[in-house]
Amino acid sequence: MKELSVRVFRYNPETDEQPHHQHYLVTVREGARVLHVLHAIHDEHDPSLSYRYCCGSGQCGSCAVRVNGEPVLACTEEARDGMTIEPLELPVQKDLVVDMEPYLAAVSSLEPGEEVRMPTKEEVEVIKPLRSCIECLACVSACPALRVIEFAGPTAMREDMRLSLDPRDSRDRVTEAVANGLFTCTSCQACWKVCPKDIEIPGKAIEKLRALANKKGLTLPRHQAVERLVRETGRSVDRTETTFLEQVPEVLEPYGEVKGTVGFFVGCMYNMRLPKTALDAMEVLRRNGIRVIIPKEQICCGSPLIRTGQIGYLKTLQQRNIEAFVHRGIDTVMTMCAGCGSTLKNDYDCPFRVMDINEVLLKFEIEPPARLPVKATYHDPCHLLRGQGIRTQPRELMSRVVDLVEMPSICCGSGGGVRSGVPQEAAALAENRRKEIEKTGADIVISSCPFCEFHIQEHTDRPVKNITTVLLEGYREKDKKKAPKDWA
Amino acid sequence: MRSDDVQTAHVLVIGSGGAGVRAAIEASEYGETLLVSKTLAGKGGCTTMAEGGYNAVLREQDSCEIHFEDTMKGGAWLNDPGLVRILVDEAPERVRNLLRWGAVFDVTDSCEVAQRPFGGQRFPRTCYAGDRTGHEMMMTLIDRLHSTEVRVVNEVTIVSLLKDSERVNGALGIDRNGDFSIFLADSVVLATGGGTKIYDISTNSSSGTGDGYALGYQAGAELIDMEQVQFHPTGAVFPYDVRGRLVTEAVRGEGGVLKNATGERFMARYDPDRMELSTRDVVARAIATEILEGRGTKNGGVFLDVTHLPRTQVETRLPVMLEQFLQFGVDIREEPMEVAPTAHHIMGGLRITGHGETTVPGLYACGEVAGGVHGANRLGGNALADTQVFGKRAGEAAGTAKMRKNEADFGQIEAVRKRLEAFTVGDVHPSTVVRSLQTAMWEGAGIFRNAANLEKTLGIIGHLRTLRLKAATPANLVDCCIAGHMLVCATLVVKGALLRKESRGAHVRRDITQAWDGQNSPYGHTYQSLSREGIETEVKS
Repeated sequence: MKELSVRVFRYNPETDEQPHHQHYLVTVREGARVLHVLHAIHDEHDPSLSYRYCCGSGQCGSCAVRVNGEPVLACTEEARDGMTIEPLELPVQKDLVVDMEPYLAAVSSLEPGEEVRMPTKEEVEVIKPLRSCIECLACVSACPALRVIEFAGPTAMREDMRLSLDPRDSRDRVTEAVANGLFTCTSCQACWKVCPKDIEIPGKAIEKLRALANKKGLTLPRHQAVERLVRETGRSVDRTETTFLEQVPEVLEPYGEVKGTVGFFVGCMYNMRLPKTALDAMEVLRRNGIRVIIPKEQICCGSPLIRTGQIGYLKTLQQRNIEAFVHRGIDTVMTMCAGCGSTLKNDYDCPFRVMDINEVLLKFEIEPPARLPVKATYHDPCHLLRGQGIRTQPRELMSRVVDLVEMPSICCGSGGGVRSGVPQEAAALAENRRKEIEKTGADIVISSCPFCEFHIQEHTDRPVKNITTVLLEGYREKDKKKAPKDWA
Repeated sequence: MRSDDVQTAHVLVIGSGGAGVRAAIEASEYGETLLVSKTLAGKGGCTTMAEGGYNAVLREQDSCEIHFEDTMKGGAWLNDPGLVRILVDEAPERVRNLLRWGAVFDVTDSCEVAQRPFGGQRFPRTCYAGDRTGHEMMMTLIDRLHSTEVRVVNEVTIVSLLKDSERVNGALGIDRNGDFSIFLADSVVLATGGGTKIYDISTNSSSGTGDGYALGYQAGAELIDMEQVQFHPTGAVFPYDVRGRLVTEAVRGEGGVLKNATGERFMARYDPDRMELSTRDVVARAIATEILEGRGTKNGGVFLDVTHLPRTQVETRLPVMLEQFLQFGVDIREEPMEVAPTAHHIMGGLRITGHGETTVPGLYACGEVAGGVHGANRLGGNALADTQVFGKRAGEAAGTAKMRKNEADFGQIEAVRKRLEAFTVGDVHPSTVVRSLQTAMWEGAGIFRNAANLEKTLGIIGHLRTLRLKAATPANLVDCCIAGHMLVCATLVVKGALLRKESRGAHVRRDITQAWDGQNSPYGHTYQSLSREGIETEVKS
């Protein structure tokens, strides 16, 4: 037996003006789950606590709650000392019980046609991963788009994709999905990461539905324009200034001893919209002994096309990019755009290792920068945090230069083609970021993705800086401090 | 308790598991249908937790006659043969309904529904969707339900059936706030599932509290064979709080082997022909015996091992098992599971005809709450088939019943109100009573039974029934009512066990020696109702 101290969200709309958190000290057995803590509270301390549960074994999806902010199934998540248990971010009926019915009703039902052909073994195998959903609504709770725009939600999209794969269904699910908000998903992947059944909704449902929508000519005109641009120029944005690639030689030698060599995949945004940031990154790498090889024939990674379901030209992009690095015998390719990194890691079959710049810098034990008298908050890029699982590395780097204040990791709205396709949604999500940034009281915002940096900067008055720019500022400060001594 | 909400329909279905939803779908063809669920429809009950599969004769090499014989033999010939005939004959068509409505079962290379071997069957006839077959069925049924006109009332617990003289004409429920809902209907279908939550160790979901047995009994219906409780051979043994969680028979169907702590494949001593795929009663007793005689693991189980199977087979055919054990730090591809018997299914229940009619006019029953289909031991895979075959039949019979003018008897409603008001001044928390009951049942009415222990258990239950349950808030009225249902259900199980003075199938009386096997038993069903109780002794033809 062990004693746990927990905080539980309490709210009875009939008697309470405001929700509050109640503290409980409960005794449970080794291996107890969150649900058993709730049982202990209900049976031993306070029978008025309301919570929903049923099967107790992760199969019915009744008991999802948030533990320390993250949606989990109460019956499978291990109970921990000090945890805070709250309802999903859905309308609360009482305590931990939320109104699930409208969201469950939004999930489509199969409508059999006149003639029914059973799915083949291959079709069953494709449908199955989408079918293990237990409709716990953890994904709905986590979806940032749902908070700012009309959208059927992740699990409804999952079912639309499952139905579109099933020969027994008679409806046009793709067109329905478009009407229900298919293009409002920012591909932030929050839904996938909280799914207790690990259903990859963005990749296996949303992007697949968007590809089917593309075949029906339902791709948004602004997404089509991007696709045309990629086909015509190899780039997803147009040239408005001197690009990064035009400013650098093919090989950048480090200032001192060579500690390692990486190929650099620059990506459209750093190449053409934020070249200065990429140049800052090069300075940091050179200062730390990393030789950088920059093949000039590299082009768009294809991420904007994959996310919007326009995959016709993807193979060409993949082949040309892989060839550009393989041709030079490069065994490690570094990305600094979170989107490109996630795409190369997850959507390419690369014959070389792909590392994000945060991983590269930590691997090579970088020179310590000077501390800056700056309070900063960090925005986790979705394609870095969830797409590549990179959470601790940027924090470790930043905390060497600035005082870091955390804020919740939520999508800024720039991904998934939403910034171009549904700009009012992208703006609403960025506005939510602005509020979170303000709450932290930070002087600057740091991130590690050109889309996030560019988009958030449009919505906040605080400077938004790339992590390598901040590191470089730390080095410059260090040099400045050192300089007077040299003169002495 | 505030203003009462009265809703009327042609058919009222109580329960939202496989049988209830199937009944509602069918009934809605004939008239206005209302489905009341104490959980969110589709999430409660045990169908959604059913893992292994659905038995149906689908191949030329198999036959309904063999399925019939397997089921009767597995049930120690206590089954009602007429009901078994219906089960085996109609199970194939009912699975085809599910397939038409979108169920995603595993299929063979030639696009036929795949089937796996299950215990006590001479042909591999268990259709499956990995090891989440029941969930797949439930998703399909809820989908189908959405396309009907059935009205669904979620999270209302029925606490009493209502009657108009001798006929059931509705039910009374309470919601999360303790408010009353009154339902009136021409026919009422009980599809409330089982009740093995009356045991300390059980596979059932929180809804397996025996509500329907209690509601039916109190409304005057006759129940049969309530002593026949199936202990599933393989339930999880740790951590403590998840003990009893089902480890599907599909694990053995896929080739899993049972070993005791000495590494011996002990089934060779109990059923050398069928080994791990013997019937559940035999395997459960074998495991219990190994543990009782000191050959169990230190966690109080035996080993169930699939490490010799190809990893991909475990990953694709048993994904839920793999995931559940991984949560507790056991990778079943690398190390054996530890398992022990767990209370799983009540074979007994309301006596029904082939059309789901109970002994009370206006009241129908289907699924686990009904008795007679599975006799003294249910074959794995027959319960899911039962939900569909008898769910459809009960729904159809209820739907074709005569339209009537139904009026609520306010005397009955007042009586319930009084019963509930007593809870507001009670003094024992229902959870305390439930825990005492579960312990007493596990100790005194478990796998191995004798008259002395059964009498003692009955005494404990009797005492628990005298305690004054306390509802601390209106929300706890439901808890009090459910504790009451559990006490009634447990009483029926223990009294049935005392009435049956023989060992038969899952029911083992160690204090009785007998000169007959199930097929030659002089006894038929035990029966219990408000007006009579006993055991049938007619010589079988």
